[in-house]
Amino acid sequence: MNENREDRFERELKRMAQDYHRPPETPRDEMWARITAERARRRESMKVVPLRRWMTWSVAAAAVLVLGVAIGRWSMNVKEKNPGPRNEEMAYRAAAAPYLTRTEALLTSFRAESRTGKVDADFAAQAQDLLVTTRLMLNSPAARDPRLASLLQDLETMLVQIAQLPAGNDRNDVDLINQGLDQRSVMLRLRTIGPTPGTSHRGAL
Amino acid sequence: MDDRELIARVRAGEPAAERALYDAHVDRVYRLSYRMAGDDDLARDFTQETFIRAFERLDTFRGESAFSTWLHSIATTVALNGLRKLKRFRKRETDIEEADGVTASRANAEPDLKKRLAQAIDALPEGYRTVFLLHDVEGYTHEEIGAALAIESGTSKAQLSRARAKLRIALADFAGEWIG
Repeated sequence: MNENREDRFERELKRMAQDYHRPPETPRDEMWARITAERARRRESMKVVPLRRWMTWSVAAAAVLVLGVAIGRWSMNVKEKNPGPRNEEMAYRAAAAPYLTRTEALLTSFRAESRTGKVDADFAAQAQDLLVTTRLMLNSPAARDPRLASLLQDLETMLVQIAQLPAGNDRNDVDLINQGLDQRSVMLRLRTIGPTPGTSHRGAL
Repeated sequence: MDDRELIARVRAGEPAAERALYDAHVDRVYRLSYRMAGDDDLARDFTQETFIRAFERLDTFRGESAFSTWLHSIATTVALNGLRKLKRFRKRETDIEEADGVTASRANAEPDLKKRLAQAIDALPEGYRTVFLLHDVEGYTHEEIGAALAIESGTSKAQLSRARAKLRIALADFAGEWIG
């Protein structure tokens, strides 16, 4: 190809390439509306999360205390007939059950909605709330059960990903979360986690 | 009102200045995103994320380069990362053909020059494709491309040259129609 043909090729290449992914008119107002909404959502979540975390910890701690006292009083009466795990562990077992139920409900709804396309932004907020309890559970005697600890760690990973989903979320991120749920058999483990011999979750989960 | 003044007003907390800055630059960002993605939803997502990041990080913009250069570097990063994620996902899901295979195997099935050109551009390695789109399609200079992609302008020139060479090979069947 001589110099003239080379130049001509490049000129024609540029001309023809203008049709490659030719953009339509910029939807500037629609995108601006999305940008302002998303920025507002992110600002709001920055404000709300510390408050929610504080509240959740307080509520969880209070619930554990009340349960601990109640179970302690009850166990005093049955101790000799039916020796069981320590009161503190019983309280955490009781607290774990509703948490796992809520988490299962969230993940089930998330999977169902993700099949229809975009996932509602409320999932991120709910996941954020559950993350606090997950961390509480991981730091509690409930995590002495290796099966529960492993499940909690996987749940924490999944919930972090859901909590960080941007509004108008990326389909690929959603699909990757669903793949993670499948690969780690999270839903199955959530539904089947039960007592482990020698550990403290008998009857609570 | 120029970018410098708008940026000062945005930093001072004027919402109208944010919109003005957006209006001044959104066309090129959206065009760039669309050229790279070839999909309106993706282009909107990339554009949205670009401006959100730009406004969040505006305090870090020191004015050492043009605002547009800084903004387009964010846009290319957002788009390339988004497309990489998409590519990884599709690879897992469908085991799509390798880029070179696409070019070769579809050559006989798709005689239309524009479609073949589109396939050949799609099949370029990411760096070549990005430089080709920025320079030959969107008209960026090598200096602008270098700043946006954090590469030397000489690297941009070299990648453009290799991109064109690959396209020339991929479109060799059409040489007579193309040049004649």
